[in-house]
Amino acid sequence: MPDLGERGNVMGPQPIASIVEPPAAMFAAAEHLLNALMRGDHASVEAMTPPHVRDEMMRVAKEIPANRYDKFEIIGRARVSKHYFLKAQLIGADIEPFKFQFRLGETDGKWTVREALNLTGRRSAWSR
Amino acid sequence: MQRMIPVDKLARPEDHILLPANRTRNARSEQGLSPGNAMPYEDDFLKSRMHGICGGEFQAMEAAGRTVYDFPDAPWEFQLDMARQVWDEARHAEIYMKLLEYVGSYYGEFPEGEVLWSCTQAEDPAARVAGINRGLEGLACDVFEQLIRIAQKMGDTVIERSVDYVLADEITHVRMGSQWMRKLTEGDPERFKRAQEFQDRIDDLFNFGPGRKRVEDVDHVKQRVDGKEIEIDNGLTIAREARLLAGFTEEEIDRLVKGFGKSAAY
Repeated sequence: MPDLGERGNVMGPQPIASIVEPPAAMFAAAEHLLNALMRGDHASVEAMTPPHVRDEMMRVAKEIPANRYDKFEIIGRARVSKHYFLKAQLIGADIEPFKFQFRLGETDGKWTVREALNLTGRRSAWSR
Repeated sequence: MQRMIPVDKLARPEDHILLPANRTRNARSEQGLSPGNAMPYEDDFLKSRMHGICGGEFQAMEAAGRTVYDFPDAPWEFQLDMARQVWDEARHAEIYMKLLEYVGSYYGEFPEGEVLWSCTQAEDPAARVAGINRGLEGLACDVFEQLIRIAQKMGDTVIERSVDYVLADEITHVRMGSQWMRKLTEGDPERFKRAQEFQDRIDDLFNFGPGRKRVEDVDHVKQRVDGKEIEIDNGLTIAREARLLAGFTEEEIDRLVKGFGKSAAY
């Protein structure tokens, strides 16, 4: 879409509220998780996963070969109130990208993983 | 091209997040919120509600398009009505994209749900229109009427008039659905019954058992919207007047209020 300049200088209805920016701590937690997954550091992954989600998260973690991916991209984000669903892709030089989706939520200042699913080979949506 | 496509075959950009309803419900419950949709008393109500509607408009557009494709042997006038509905829903999606921007949101801020698409999975065009046009578009009448009343309390003519414009089309879609449900099942009471049952399941699914109330019976809560404190409904309501305009009978509306989804086609 072309840049049409400052919206406030344009005639017509102006937005009545501003966009909610995701907290920086949420992005930091996502980065921490993704780096741990790429390193194969399962202890760090477990440390940010509550017990009831551990099996689900570790299933995803075990599908990621350690040290084969060297960067990640967060390719999608959506929120349900204050929890964030993130779609991420791990990228390596000689390996197919690994795509998965997870939800982060904060309790007492700590962001933890609330669910996770491997999306590799699927369309952009989650199926049942 | 495949007929009756599942929800994860809908074309969506890679940065888009589409979720089964149970995932969203879990995320809400874990935060101490009611498991269904955002309620009027929540801070994010306007953004979240408009986002849900916008996704619904996209899926309604796709569903009407799929109906044209999935039933090539249906009468030409039926195909024309469905094609016209695609155009209506496309305009609605554009309107809600603009409204999202207006309330400080954007399409993709929240996940898109898949429950509406699951309501399109009927192999008979009569059931398809019973479910989508009578079930879902009837629900849209309720949701839109409530938004209009909230906008009136806010003194916000942008939301009020935009949603009213869309509501007028939805009323037409309900009537169209009823007409085709009758016409396509003429002389085949069994087929009519199956179409009716499909709609009943959808009415039940969205009736929140029974969670919708008459406008005059619903409690109110105070909420700050656009810097003003207003009293808004503390739950979902039934748009009696809009539903009557769409051709629902008093008896059908009563049944929805009582939580029995069964509604005989008129």
